[in-house]
Amino acid sequence: MPPTVLHTERLSKSFGDIKAVDALSLQVHEGEILGFLGPNGAGKTTAISMMCGLLKPDAGQVFIHGKPVIGMRTLVGVCPQENILWEKLTALEQLEFIGSLYGMRPKTARRRDAVLLEELGLSNKADQLAGKLFGGMKRRLNLALALVHDPEILFLDEPESGLDPQSRVLVREYIRSLSKRKTIILSLTGRRLRE
Amino acid sequence: MRLWQVFIKSIREQKRDLWVVGLSLAFAPLFVFIYWLMTGGTGTTAYHVLVINQDVPVAVDALKVTAGEDIVTRLQNLKYQNGSPLLKVHLEMDRFRAEQKLRNRNAAALIIIPADFSAKLMAFNDGEVAANAELTFVGDLTNPLYTVADVMVMTVTDTYIQDVTAAPRPVSLVEIPLGGSAARSEFENYVPGLLVLAIILMVFQAAMTPARDIESGVLRRLRLTPLTSFDYLGGISLWLGLVSIIAVVLTFVAAIALGFRSQGVLLPAVVITIITSLSIIGIGLLVACFSKSVSQAFVIANFPLGFLMFLTGAAFPMPRFHLFTVFGHEFALADLLPPTHAVIALNKIFTLGAGWKDIIFETAALILLSLLYFGIGVRLYQKTQMGIVKHLS
Repeated sequence: MPPTVLHTERLSKSFGDIKAVDALSLQVHEGEILGFLGPNGAGKTTAISMMCGLLKPDAGQVFIHGKPVIGMRTLVGVCPQENILWEKLTALEQLEFIGSLYGMRPKTARRRDAVLLEELGLSNKADQLAGKLFGGMKRRLNLALALVHDPEILFLDEPESGLDPQSRVLVREYIRSLSKRKTIILSLTGRRLRE
Repeated sequence: MRLWQVFIKSIREQKRDLWVVGLSLAFAPLFVFIYWLMTGGTGTTAYHVLVINQDVPVAVDALKVTAGEDIVTRLQNLKYQNGSPLLKVHLEMDRFRAEQKLRNRNAAALIIIPADFSAKLMAFNDGEVAANAELTFVGDLTNPLYTVADVMVMTVTDTYIQDVTAAPRPVSLVEIPLGGSAARSEFENYVPGLLVLAIILMVFQAAMTPARDIESGVLRRLRLTPLTSFDYLGGISLWLGLVSIIAVVLTFVAAIALGFRSQGVLLPAVVITIITSLSIIGIGLLVACFSKSVSQAFVIANFPLGFLMFLTGAAFPMPRFHLFTVFGHEFALADLLPPTHAVIALNKIFTLGAGWKDIIFETAALILLSLLYFGIGVRLYQKTQMGIVKHLS
């Protein structure tokens, strides 16, 4: 069996009286795709936020390669449910900025950015401000930002929400291609279950 | 260097949102212009004085004595050091109309010179000690301009009477101006405070810039990267510091263009403004800690702005509420606000020609308080926004 990349131990989180996540324990192995399926408000985003180290659990722990997630966040890429972009930066500037924060060399980053933009069908929008992109393009840029530093584990929170049919096909194909080289944890709402 | 990348990113973003930065930068020079207009467009306030001159000239030994006219001329000739008039004298005929002008605050004071003014002065000179002319001053005592105009007119009148009657004085009044204060116009006295105000107004930018990252959610994305709080806040502070310096330079240039002259060297003033901007950035970060959106940050920032603007003497001089004294320095409530010390230091530099040695206390207090505010702002922002959080914003 491939080695364990991520595991959680009795992860719990409540918001007031609402128990969002209750004693979640799981193991994800290298190359696996783990899907959280459930309706809105089921706690999928909360679970993902705790697993990638953004949200503090009330109880339990998250480990990546056996170490607490806080020190291992560079191995993680997160594509959040909503588009988190700098509206006043171009698509390329955003990728360059995130790449620089991960310490990527400009030359390597430029090459990587070009590949990502090409693969996600955004090459001709590289110099366009994110605020001026259409919904589907923003969504794809959102995904590209999670991949700039070539993370080992990819969290995709509702990756297809807000996508037009054409973009949905493109993103789905892209995620499928990613699954050959990455461990992917994704969340999907109930209405996408059959798909 | 990640700090530098954040700085470059901030410049790129603001470059595309120029009107917001432009408005922030234009605000303080606009204040300078308003203060200049407030001081009569010459940098000095001219007080409007109404005179009803009923004096009837008298002839003494073939000489015509016109005491009423002489006083009017002296009032008209009263000037600031820069040559602009201190009083604007308007001759009136009708007391009712004149009082209407006072009520409407179109003038500060009314002086009525009686018909027997010249005659009574001459009678006094001829040895009639009981001779007494009644010069009347009319004004709205609640009008602050009245007090100033009244004192000036009384001084001019008193001096004239002394000159004409040659009556001996038991007391001589001597005035010694501090530094170059005698040569300063009223407008110039406001400028040091306005320079500090230019930095204080940056509290909006300082609060709204990090709040924008909170509202758009990009801070969450940044928290996943190896970007440290120091890099992020350092990059933002570098940008805000740059904007503050530009704001001060623009304000200073506007003041110079409108007649401001510095009595001291500029280097200490530059250092003082840079340190002050650090404290304002800290206060802005504190505001951002309690804001979930840019509009919320804007509203909350109005509260510290009010305190900083009015309590520190930046907008206009305020009375000090004395708390205690340490090593000869009286401490007031406003001393807890860093810009208070900046206003005092800049006043000393620009008005009194002070150098480093004269502003040691203010500089030390400013550095300590600025580091304290900046430190608290950074620490609280780190704790509430940058680390692993209990609630997703």
